[in-house]
Amino acid sequence: MIQSAKRNWLLDILMLPIAIVTFFPFYLIIINTVKSQAETARHPMGWPKVWNFSNYVKVFEETPLLRSFGNSLTITVFSVMFMVLFGAMAAYPVVFNANKMNKIITTYLLAGFLIPFQTTLIPLFELMTGLHLVNKLSGLIVLYMGGAVFVFFLMMGYMKTIPKELPEAAVIDGCSIWGIFWRIILPLLKPITVTSIIYQTMWIWNDFLAPMLFLNSSNKATLVLLVYKAKGEFSVNWPMFMTLTVIVLIPIFIFFVVMQKQIVKGIVGGAVKG
Amino acid sequence: MPKFLKQLQYQLFLIPILLFYTLFTIYPLIKSFIFSLTDFNGYNKNYNFVGMSNYLKIFKDDAIVSGISYTLLYAISSTVLITLVAIPLALILDQNFFTKNIHRAIFFFPSIPSGLLLAYIWGFILAPISSGVLNTVLREVFNLGPQPWLSDPNLAKLMTIIVAAWAGAGWHAVLYLAFLQGISKDYYEAASIDGAGRWGQIRHITLPLLAPAMTVSIMLLLTGGLKVFEIPFALTRGGPGFETHTITQVIVLRGISEVQYGLASAMSIVFFLIVLVITFFQVSWMQKREERVL
Repeated sequence: MIQSAKRNWLLDILMLPIAIVTFFPFYLIIINTVKSQAETARHPMGWPKVWNFSNYVKVFEETPLLRSFGNSLTITVFSVMFMVLFGAMAAYPVVFNANKMNKIITTYLLAGFLIPFQTTLIPLFELMTGLHLVNKLSGLIVLYMGGAVFVFFLMMGYMKTIPKELPEAAVIDGCSIWGIFWRIILPLLKPITVTSIIYQTMWIWNDFLAPMLFLNSSNKATLVLLVYKAKGEFSVNWPMFMTLTVIVLIPIFIFFVVMQKQIVKGIVGGAVKG
Repeated sequence: MPKFLKQLQYQLFLIPILLFYTLFTIYPLIKSFIFSLTDFNGYNKNYNFVGMSNYLKIFKDDAIVSGISYTLLYAISSTVLITLVAIPLALILDQNFFTKNIHRAIFFFPSIPSGLLLAYIWGFILAPISSGVLNTVLREVFNLGPQPWLSDPNLAKLMTIIVAAWAGAGWHAVLYLAFLQGISKDYYEAASIDGAGRWGQIRHITLPLLAPAMTVSIMLLLTGGLKVFEIPFALTRGGPGFETHTITQVIVLRGISEVQYGLASAMSIVFFLIVLVITFFQVSWMQKREERVL
């Protein structure tokens, strides 16, 4: 506001306790990974008497952590890659070859926003079983592909800002429609591609419902699913469970630190256009 | 190149999305509707058309009725709570102070991990036995006995909503922050020349100009809240009884665990209509409000 040139140090003091309370749950789990079970039970909040990192070693020994990380990574990378590609591809004719049929197709695709995943769950379960896609990483990747609709929507909004003269000039120069998309349109979509990748990565990486229903064997588990399964196994051993949780949070934390600015831009871009 | 060939080349780009979207979204939706009118149990292919009877069963099934009422309560209260926290938070984070950036990061971070993980972390804080952090505090500081944070029906409902607010407030504060930064400084200058104080400026300029942000944020919160699964599931497993059972949990339980495809599909269709009606009224009402205030 008006006096914004001057820094208001009162706010620093006022916000500090609120920030501490907000971050407290994360402090708690980190601090309890280095305690013994008995110490966690007696003093869950206290500073550890002895720093004991054996839980970190044990978690790697007792759970298929790396395998689950690989599964999460495979599912996320391939789902997001195809979703972004298919979304961008679909926006191309809708924007640059606008006709009545494409208007109808756009409406048909946008209707997808109104359909919650849960509504389609029972037939999906039947369909996935019928196609032998249950308990396969590829099955989950295919299942997520419906999410390309969201990317399509973001891409369509952005593509409208590209001047029509650009592809027209390329046609005159003898470039094919296929070539225009790959060589001219796709490179111009970089900012909205980054936004789409961030949104879809956060969704797929964090998803629990679909992996829970469609991946049953533990060597196919994603990281989130691994934590869910470990909750039963380590039900009495909080330090062990906390250690697993902290390790699983590390990639998310790195993603957050690296992408924070982009995530914020993404929220802004998505919201303002939406 | 003939015109229709050019058209055809363009249209080819739509094939992958149309294929996947139709197969994994539209086709299952139609099938859900068909299942909901039958007694299909998932195995016996000779199922019968039973009309509306699955829909009538919904209202006699305690788990389903309590799933609907809890989900509505959760969606509405978490929306209200997050909005009441996110707007003031955004107003503060929009100010200039030394630790502004670190505060933005701290409030925002809980929106990034999976809801399942966040709820498990809170499960440690709210655990009923002595190791429960909150109960330890109550015992050592206030000398109070343990509270059943997650096993008392009302407390459990309250806690799931509070955890949801903790997880979601930062994200929505950032959304409001984006809109705040788009408000022209001229308005505030003009208002202060007219003698408006800080509070008056917030009330008469900032809040009305946030109307479009509210439409978007509340729509995301309501639809997200109606679809909720992870936070209550991880905190309470839907209990005690069916007190914190969500609609999604009902569909999974009745449909996939108990293979009552007909009943679960009817529930899915009712759920679809609930989401549709609530979103429609919320958005159209709030857009009218935008026109009035802007």
